Amino acid sequence: MAENITSECSIDSDGLLPARRRLLKSAAVGFGHLAFSALLAGEAAADEATSATPRQSDGPLSAKPPHLPARAKRIVFLFMKGGPSHVDTFDPKPLLDRDSGKPLPFDLPRVTFAKQGNLLRSPWKFKQHGDSGLPVSALFPNVAKHVDDLCILRSVHGTNPAHGGALLKLHTGSDQFVRPSMGSWLIYGLGTENQNLPAFVTICPTLAHGGVNNWGSAFLPAHCQGTPIGNASLASSAAQVKHIRNSRLTSQQQRKQLDLIAAMNRDHLKVAGNDQALEGRLSSFELAFRMQSTMPEVQDLSEETDTTQRQYGIDDPVTQDFGRQCLLARRFLERGVRFVQVTHSDSEVQWDQHGNLYQGHTKNASEVDKPIAGFLQDLKDRDLLKDTLVIWGGEFGRTPTAQGTNGRDHNPHGFTMWMAGGGVKGGFAYGATDEYGYYAAENKMHVHDLHATILHLLGLDHERLTYRYAGRDFRLTDVAGHVAKDIFV
Amino acid sequence: MLTRREQHSLNSLPKQRFRSRCILVMVIAIYPLLDAGNVRAADEPASLEFFEKDVRPLLVKHCYECHSAGDVDGGLNLDSKAGVAKGGDSGAVVVAGAPERSLLVEAVRYQNQDLQMPPKGRMSDADISILEKWVRLGAPDSRKESRSGAIRPTGMSIEDGHEFWSFKPVADPAVPAVEHADWVQTPIDAFVLAKLEERKTGPAERADKRTLLRRVTFDLIGLPPTPEEIAAFLADESSDAFGKVVERLLESPQYGVRWGRHWLDVARYADSNGLDENLAFGNAWRYRDYVVDSFNDDKPFDQFLIEQLAGDLLPGANRETKTATGFLILGAKVLAEPDKEKLFMDTIDEQLDSVGKAFLGMTIGCVRCHDHKFDPLKQTDYYALAAIFKSTRTFGDTQTGVIKHWHEYSFATEDELAELKKIDAELAKKKSTASSFKSKATAKLRDEARAKATEYLMVAASFPSSASLTEVAALAEPLGLHPRILHHCRLHMQYHSDDPVFAKWHELKAAGNAVSEDIEKHYRPLFQNAETAFADAQKKDAKAKTLDDETLKSARAALHDLSGFLAVPPKPEFAFDAETLAEYYRLMEEARLAESNAPDEPSIMGVADGTVLTSLPIHIRGSHRNFGEPVAREFPEVMRNSTVRPVLPRNQSGRLELARWMASTQHPLTARVYVNRIWRWHFGTGIVASTENFGRLGDRPSHPELLDWLARRFMESGWSTKELHRLILSSSVYQMASFHTDEAIAEADPENRLLWKFGLRRLEAEQIRDAILAVSGRLDTEIGGKTLPLRNRQFVFNHTSVDHTKYDSLRRSLYLPVIRNNVYSLFSQFDFPDPTMPTGSRNATVVAPQALLMMNAGLVMDSADHLATLVLSESLDNSQRVNLAYERALGRLPSESESHRSLAFISGATSTALTDAASVDSAAEHSAWSMFCQSLFASNEFIYLR
Repeated sequence: MAENITSECSIDSDGLLPARRRLLKSAAVGFGHLAFSALLAGEAAADEATSATPRQSDGPLSAKPPHLPARAKRIVFLFMKGGPSHVDTFDPKPLLDRDSGKPLPFDLPRVTFAKQGNLLRSPWKFKQHGDSGLPVSALFPNVAKHVDDLCILRSVHGTNPAHGGALLKLHTGSDQFVRPSMGSWLIYGLGTENQNLPAFVTICPTLAHGGVNNWGSAFLPAHCQGTPIGNASLASSAAQVKHIRNSRLTSQQQRKQLDLIAAMNRDHLKVAGNDQALEGRLSSFELAFRMQSTMPEVQDLSEETDTTQRQYGIDDPVTQDFGRQCLLARRFLERGVRFVQVTHSDSEVQWDQHGNLYQGHTKNASEVDKPIAGFLQDLKDRDLLKDTLVIWGGEFGRTPTAQGTNGRDHNPHGFTMWMAGGGVKGGFAYGATDEYGYYAAENKMHVHDLHATILHLLGLDHERLTYRYAGRDFRLTDVAGHVAKDIFV
Repeated sequence: MLTRREQHSLNSLPKQRFRSRCILVMVIAIYPLLDAGNVRAADEPASLEFFEKDVRPLLVKHCYECHSAGDVDGGLNLDSKAGVAKGGDSGAVVVAGAPERSLLVEAVRYQNQDLQMPPKGRMSDADISILEKWVRLGAPDSRKESRSGAIRPTGMSIEDGHEFWSFKPVADPAVPAVEHADWVQTPIDAFVLAKLEERKTGPAERADKRTLLRRVTFDLIGLPPTPEEIAAFLADESSDAFGKVVERLLESPQYGVRWGRHWLDVARYADSNGLDENLAFGNAWRYRDYVVDSFNDDKPFDQFLIEQLAGDLLPGANRETKTATGFLILGAKVLAEPDKEKLFMDTIDEQLDSVGKAFLGMTIGCVRCHDHKFDPLKQTDYYALAAIFKSTRTFGDTQTGVIKHWHEYSFATEDELAELKKIDAELAKKKSTASSFKSKATAKLRDEARAKATEYLMVAASFPSSASLTEVAALAEPLGLHPRILHHCRLHMQYHSDDPVFAKWHELKAAGNAVSEDIEKHYRPLFQNAETAFADAQKKDAKAKTLDDETLKSARAALHDLSGFLAVPPKPEFAFDAETLAEYYRLMEEARLAESNAPDEPSIMGVADGTVLTSLPIHIRGSHRNFGEPVAREFPEVMRNSTVRPVLPRNQSGRLELARWMASTQHPLTARVYVNRIWRWHFGTGIVASTENFGRLGDRPSHPELLDWLARRFMESGWSTKELHRLILSSSVYQMASFHTDEAIAEADPENRLLWKFGLRRLEAEQIRDAILAVSGRLDTEIGGKTLPLRNRQFVFNHTSVDHTKYDSLRRSLYLPVIRNNVYSLFSQFDFPDPTMPTGSRNATVVAPQALLMMNAGLVMDSADHLATLVLSESLDNSQRVNLAYERALGRLPSESESHRSLAFISGATSTALTDAASVDSAAEHSAWSMFCQSLFASNEFIYLR
């Protein structure tokens, strides 16, 4: 009897999709604004129908006013694939240290991913940092310097103890079905501020464990999907958008060719009749041509000073790959890209230490620590941090109990993510796990709550950001989600 | 009692929170008798005051957000006395007088992992004891009315359902009379024309012959007509010229390639699992070929349906019919889900959802947790069907690590099995060769490092732990140290400042005088002594594992700790030199290729019957941990066409009976849904636009009588798809032009729902690729066979994200691998459907990456080269060559001005591409023609069908 679902399943008066809405579905034009005034009005009307917020918009992708005052304008997700351990990084547990080797004094979850042993203390020491005195482990000496900017969420929990399910849950809100990703929802709700670049970019994403679905738009219009730049198997220096370069023709030759195509298409319009898709396609070639020069320009890091490059660790083989990703992220963000995801997903040793916790986490942390610190500093120096929401975390945390002698199993029941900038309190810890770090205990923040909170920070009401598909209004947060207002400035 | 997040909805089954509560529900029924004494005490003023003062504020603070007024999660309303007494979906929450038996108390105590309230965190012990006391007192409650208003009615009753259009029996409507009877070639035309005449308008002109031929050829076989076919059709002036073309195309085996693909959209066909773990479906191709053959053979649709749902149970079941059940097993599954019961119920949900959408146009998946919000489908209907599927086996007995395998039927011979065993052993050997090479190389590095342990410590003292690897390498390399090990060694010192073995190191470093020498003086003898002492100990006792001397013991432990200060990087790329790394990669690649190319065990992906359950309890809110009343196997109530109920066999799942019931001519939905699909694939929009939803939230039919008329004719023809094609294609409606002179109708009906013209359509992804290949003479039209370059159950992607799938085959697109989670870029850009859900209506978006693809993709440019070569090799003049390219690509000749423009472009492009201005070199000429040919492919006319 979930009456509260009714609001999401509301029916149109005539039981039909609005005509313009359907048109949009068939003629969504990305990445950018195209001369499409009729269509654009359609989008506004469609939005009105579902979100109850009249939108003044002039393109499916053009920037749209949010539901609520936005604390952040853009978002960057530093995703640590594999599941970094919270009890070894941002959530110190003195009792875990004390009782290492003893059994967990309460029940394990009904379902665990692997067999678990006794409690295992962290190999790293925690120290208090900054004015806030928040503790950070020795794994993150550089990020620790920015602790007064971090809002550490220590009570995040999810539902799935396997990588695939957990990645999908974190990125799309569903571990059972293919659903639009968090970034797609944001683009659907907010549009973009740069018409020559994709609105949602994911740098070197992993193709495993959900792959494309983690940045896909599912049933949302195609222009909402993330554009991958390379993938996790490629060095970030080699990452490219697919088909962004012509290997044979010069730009001048291609310009001539596009002129011919445009002339043919204009003739065709006379025969085929005025059709918005046909007109849109004409413009899409022009946009693609512009993108061919815009993308390489964004990706050209040689424009950055040596100081900046060093700040991101690009001069160091350990940090250069992730540093390059972070620097790319900043370049996209400052050009108006709404959502950028950066992924640390090593081809061999991810944040997934079922064994060899010490070496694996040491390696991974030393690859990301300096770049992240440099990135935060750079955003601050450029006055971007105040309205950029930075999110750090993995698909789950790890158990305080040991797997084998020096490993930890997956733990979706309580783990840490952190945010910075974009309207969240700095030097602030929210929520808590139990005394050993197994379960989220105080101010628990489910992945749905995280999503609701992120949307809220960007000015979107997660209950009003809906999309009608197959007879139902869908949300990123399904029928769940509480906004954690306590973390807002 | 569930939070919002625990409360399940349609799209994510939450982690389960309840154990079976049937017993508790019964307890409640008798509680007024049992606890009468307490209930009386509950009315006393002191008790009520306690409630007002202590309990009510707690309920308001911790519970009302989710359990009051309009927001009653888990069906539980705690804002009134009646609400508390009524309980939630899981039964009563309070057993008056008995805290130990009350769910409310259990929940707030946080002892049951599946039931913890409030969800944001445990209340204080003091607050919990207040609630315990409250229950013990008999739950005194001073509140009168619920704050909630009337419960909003939702759903549709079965009676109302019988009146809803799609559940009514298929009618036999009369063909309407029309004014312009001359336009009517088939009764279809009369149905359409009648509606147009009502609007005082008429249909578009008949399309010209070239347009019509291009339309029907793409439509039926997914390819453009060849210049020869065009010439033949233009020359044929007989009245049935078009009919002859239709017959030729229906006879072509390429027909099955095109129309089989339509069905594969509905069947969410893929060659890999996708979702969480992407294992290769190495035998899915057999189902794909079964579908193609079924269309080519015009297999009656009722039989096609029955085979796909129950081919394994048919009398005379054989490989073909078992292959058909691939339909049920092809879905994306959460193969690594550790909670098996959840996995099984999620899989059944996927199957019911697919069966419902594909055959019945019903969103059955919506009913997993609650009665349908809009359609007359009840939760009992869902679990009655789920019982049938719970009695079906979808999973096999084997697994890859924690990743479960789906069920397959092997038909390997003894010899083949023996051979496969050998092959598996060889593959295992290749894998272990690679891994043992890695271990040996790592061990060697470890030994080398240990030999220089002192040197590592000496150098490590000379730089800060924040030094970059570049800086560290400059120090390491001259001394023959491994830069990454040294780098790690320094970090290790940082992390282990209180390790007794390294205390001296820190001390000496801090002292700052002759650090290096001092460290050497301390550690070289220490390490040497430790090793010598251990060697001596072993001489005395070969079994000795440790030393007595604590200092030496810990020094030696540090030296030999695999993740200690001399740890070798776990990543081969960081550990090995270039040569070793190359050899390791070579061995790995050899093992991978050997696996990819190894033959599969001949087997079929298909379901079988499992342990038969004759009933299944309702899963409250879809939770497999919270059971309600059992439901016997049955078919959805609103669709039953007889009050006499079928008897399902006790020793079979009942799938066969279900399939036969669905395929009966009395079923209101099956024929309607299918003929609507066929109509959609011919016209671009269905008579019911929402092809997967014939429910209340779906669209209403634009021509309901026509839909029923078609459904009846279809069943009368013996469910023949090809007959249906003939009927539709011979209509004037199909043969209209895509342009209409009446602007008023375009204004009034912009979506062309009334069919006043033939709608302009963008080609689908496969048609685009196949047409490019066909026009340039490269297409390989071979039919059938395994085309996935992976072994069955091999990882398509593992954690490395390396994409090994290639799409360079020149066969028809149907035969390219469909990799879930990473669909071929040309497909995904051009709206290939998500292969995890049934799709009857593809989108046709316009996005910039499509343009990038047409401008820059190798496939397009190579094909343009081929077409250029082809036209240049003909002994024609340039203007005739332009004609040839136009006719191959666009099915027509260029106008004079088009011809002129093309020639001008080619000559301009030739001179730009010239390397030597003095002579026309053939490479420049070819390049110019290739650019021209590519422009044809990129043109709107190429990919939009009139």
